[in-house]
Amino acid sequence: MLIDWFTVIAQIINFLVLVYLLKRFLYGPIIRAMDEREKKIALSLEGARKKKDEADLEAKDYRRKNREFDEHREEMFSQIKEEAEVRRKDLINEARNQVDAGRTKWYEAIHREKEAFLQDLRRRAGRQTCAISRQVLKEMADVDLEDHVIHVFIKRLLSLNKDETEALKESIHRLPQKISVRSAFKIPGKPAGEIKEVLRNQADGHVDVQFEVSPDLICGIELKFQGSRISWNVDDYLETLEESLVAALENKGEKAADKLSDK
Amino acid sequence: MHITPDTLIVFQWGPVLLNKTILFTWCVMVLMVVGSWLITRKLSTETHLSRWQNLIEVLVTGMRDEIRDISGQDPGRYLSFVGTLFLFIAVSNLLGIVPGYVPPTSSFSTAAALALCVFVAVPLYAVSQKGLSYLKEYIEPSIFMLPFNIIGEISRTFALAVRLFGNIMSGTIIAAILLGIAPLIFPVLMQVLGLLIGLIQAYIFAILAMVYIAAATHVQRKEGEAGRQSEKGDLSDG
Repeated sequence: MLIDWFTVIAQIINFLVLVYLLKRFLYGPIIRAMDEREKKIALSLEGARKKKDEADLEAKDYRRKNREFDEHREEMFSQIKEEAEVRRKDLINEARNQVDAGRTKWYEAIHREKEAFLQDLRRRAGRQTCAISRQVLKEMADVDLEDHVIHVFIKRLLSLNKDETEALKESIHRLPQKISVRSAFKIPGKPAGEIKEVLRNQADGHVDVQFEVSPDLICGIELKFQGSRISWNVDDYLETLEESLVAALENKGEKAADKLSDK
Repeated sequence: MHITPDTLIVFQWGPVLLNKTILFTWCVMVLMVVGSWLITRKLSTETHLSRWQNLIEVLVTGMRDEIRDISGQDPGRYLSFVGTLFLFIAVSNLLGIVPGYVPPTSSFSTAAALALCVFVAVPLYAVSQKGLSYLKEYIEPSIFMLPFNIIGEISRTFALAVRLFGNIMSGTIIAAILLGIAPLIFPVLMQVLGLLIGLIQAYIFAILAMVYIAAATHVQRKEGEAGRQSEKGDLSDG
């Protein structure tokens, strides 16, 4: 007989056992693993989709910024140009101011040097002139320069005009202090007495005179009262020399400046 | 020559006997279970898979897709039964190339056992899905159809068993006869053909089982799908 019922029953049991075992060891684990992998892939796809969305947003934002930049580029360039122009002008002005300040300082320094030079020249010229005059007077006329200066000064005192005389008087009577006679050299007793005498006559009364030695007055003598001055010294003559020297110097300076600017 | 391996008794103790059908069935079961255990004990859930896992996943996915296509339902509850039918028959038949091995499926007892399992599984799945109202279908469209329906159930079960047994048994016997007539080369070709037939029979058996179950469990299907399903059933029966 082809069919053996014991074998049939045994095979049915075997088959059912196999169904259970395969479910336990094959289908269950495999399907779980596949589901899990599917989930992971879905998650990673979701992540990728999110990242893509973010990237799209970023790209959109970037494109928008680019477009805005393109639109405002001309405006920004002109603004930058204006700012650069303003800055350039500021820098030029600053440089110009610095140059002007430097030039002013230089001019001041030149002026100071010129002043010092002229002062020195004046002093030296005065001394030299006095020495030469003294020598000439001594040798040619046997006259002492200082005595002659005092003599000239006394003559000048005597030849005061009316206004000057009034002013001298008023000054002598009104002010309590002594009248000061300054000279470059010490005035000996006799000429000093003469000067006092002349002043007394001019002022019609007692006069207190104080004699001072002032080397600044180059070979000169002077009397100051109430804003006026009676004097004789070489200084007055030297002023002319100084003026001509200054004119000559300025003339040379201008020529030099012209040459410099030409270059 | 033995037509069925049931007669090849290995061990007998009273009414309890161990024939080659049962013995080789156990061998197949051990091979399948141990193989499954070896493959599934270190499953990867990452995208990088071992070759064996890949093979098993392809098989399982293919079976699930097939079941889904046929039943139009979630394949989860049918996979264990239908999948095991397919794998058991396929492995039993493919091992036919091993010398000394006799496929358990070439035993009519095995084919009958499997067909009986399908015969019981169909109403069980249907009742679990639809409830006892399924049984009403046997008396539709009228009570007179009841005997015909029952005969139909039994005959298709019988056809299932005979188809499997006949194909595998014939393949084995043809190979044995040809070995006697032309011992060189030709039996090899027949063996290859036997392997192909074995796989096809496994597929047909599992598909028919699924079709019967699907026909019993279907609730409300679109006409197109139902038509396609019955077409497939007719084709297999033929």
